[in-house]
This record gives sequence, C-alpha cells and structure tokens, in this order.
Amino acid sequence: MKRTILLIVLVLVVAAALIGYRLYKKQTPDVVDARPDVTIDARSLVAAFDADTAAAAADFIDKVVEVTGTVKAIDASGTITLGDSTTESSVTCGLDRRHLKDYEGLKTGAVAVIQGVCAGYEKASGDDLLASLGTTVQLRSAGVKKK
Amino acid sequence: MSKTLILTFLMALSTTLCLAQTRYFTRTGTISFFSKAALEDIEAKNKTVTAVLDSKTGAFQFSVQMKAFEFEKELMQQHFNDSYVESDKYPKSEFKGTVTNNSAINYAKDGSYPVKVKGKLTIHGVTRDVQTNGTVKVSGGKVATTASFGILLSDYKVNIPAVTKDKVSNSITISVDCRLEPLKQ
Repeated sequence: MKRTILLIVLVLVVAAALIGYRLYKKQTPDVVDARPDVTIDARSLVAAFDADTAAAAADFIDKVVEVTGTVKAIDASGTITLGDSTTESSVTCGLDRRHLKDYEGLKTGAVAVIQGVCAGYEKASGDDLLASLGTTVQLRSAGVKKK
Repeated sequence: MSKTLILTFLMALSTTLCLAQTRYFTRTGTISFFSKAALEDIEAKNKTVTAVLDSKTGAFQFSVQMKAFEFEKELMQQHFNDSYVESDKYPKSEFKGTVTNNSAINYAKDGSYPVKVKGKLTIHGVTRDVQTNGTVKVSGGKVATTASFGILLSDYKVNIPAVTKDKVSNSITISVDCRLEPLKQ
C-alpha cells in the first residue's frame, strides 16, 4: 500500500517536472499562418490609430493582424515597411526569426500581405523630433503571406 | 545690376539651405538586450524602433514599443511583458538626448565618428539620466548610429520576483543599432 502511494507520487512529480520543462522550453509561436483576428489594409490601420488611439489599441494591440499594403521600404535585417509614399505614416513589420527571408521576392511599390502581432504605435505629439515621422503602427513576429 | 546680383545670391543660398539635410530618421532601428545569468542567458530583439537625429543640433530621440521585443521562449516573453516591464501599463520606452560632440561630425563626408550621447532614458515609467559612447558612421548620405550601454533593472523599478532572483541578472546590456536615412521635409 505504502509502496503504491510512493509510486503514484513519484509518477506525478515526474509528470509535473516534464510538463514544467516543456512549458519552459516552449518556443514563441509562429503566427504567420494562423487564422488572423483582424484583416485590414495598412492605410485603414494607421487611420484607426490617428482617429482614436484608445479604441484602436483595444481593437488591434496583441491581436494577430493581417495587413495588406504597398511596400514602402525593405530592410534586409528583417523589417518590411508598408504605407503610401504620399504620407510619412507607415506600418512597420518586424519579421519573425522563422520568416527572416520573407522579404525576398518583394519589391518596393508592390502590394504585400503581411501577418503578425500588433505591438504598438508611435504617434506624432507636440514638437518633438519623432513627430516628423507621422504615425507608425508596429507589428512583431511577422511574415509575408502567400496569396 | 546689383539687384540681380542679390537675387542670384539669395537663390544660391536657398538652394544650399534646401540641400543641407538636417534630419535623419528610421522606423526600423534595432534595439536588443542581453542579460547573463546563472541558469541561462536572456536575449530579446526589437526591430521596429523609431528614431530621429537632427544633424544641426545633435538632438537624438528614439522610441521603443515594449511589446515588439521578440524572445525565443514564449514563457520569457510573457514574463517580460507581464511581470517585469508591465508593458500594458508602460507600453513604450523612450530616449531623448543629444550628441554632445556633434560639431565633430561632418555629415557631408563619409567616415566613422566616435560620439558621446547624453540624455534621459525612460523605461517602466522611470526617467533617468544616461550617458554613453557610440559611433556615428556616415556613408553615402546615410547615417548609421550604434551604441551599447548597461543599465540596472533596479534603477527603473523593474522588480524581479523572488523565485527567479538568482536566475535573472540585475544588470542588462542594451545595444542600439539605427541606420538613419535623410528625412524629406
């Protein structure tokens, strides 16, 4: 009887340790091919933050967002910028480590569909230096979707 | 005659003024941090840093969305956002400062210039004076800025839970790498 209890406890401890270890080792998920929470175009995404930051933050931040827009700039170190060349405002997409080469095949001026997690925004305020950049919405863990 | 001369001079002057680029920017700067600890090293990278440098005054500013830091391990990323920097409450970090030896940089000439940067760094809602050395590299009209400096988590009231106290180091190395382009104005 005593032995059985001991055995059960041992099994439970090992199982807990295994679950804990797996949880600890778990990699950040690749969200690029996941079902998006929101689908939107780059211009509307920026416009939403321009109109009402609190509402837009609630609607988009921490959500998996699929953004369609014109490629404005490509940074080979792993970032794609979407937006109109007519305004400074942009959506910057930091590529996930498993999608670092996704920019290959993209050209500035072409339309791309990018999916990632909306991480925040930077909005022009007052007379500080960053105000000259307009509004920027940031995505992390992003990648180019094949459509 | 003298009127034409003045006009020509004024036109030449205005052209020069237009050509003299004063502001450089990026929206895709990189900031990474590294912490060495007994159990394992912690590393994260943010590739969507916005930064602007005014070459005339040496004023330099960057802004970092805390939620844009990417970790390899999900649990670490979660702890970083929820317990350490509390990114829901303090979504961004910011630096506002100046290149103190700005006059030593010739933005019109390619080259690598050692710089001193001084200013205010805000993390986790706490603003502190920081000072560091860095490099400004001018190449083909673009300006690459790099700097690396150490901070103490306790200075910014980032609490390390007792359970992980031995595993997480209080000192963090932050590396800034921003390749700036001329800002069209």
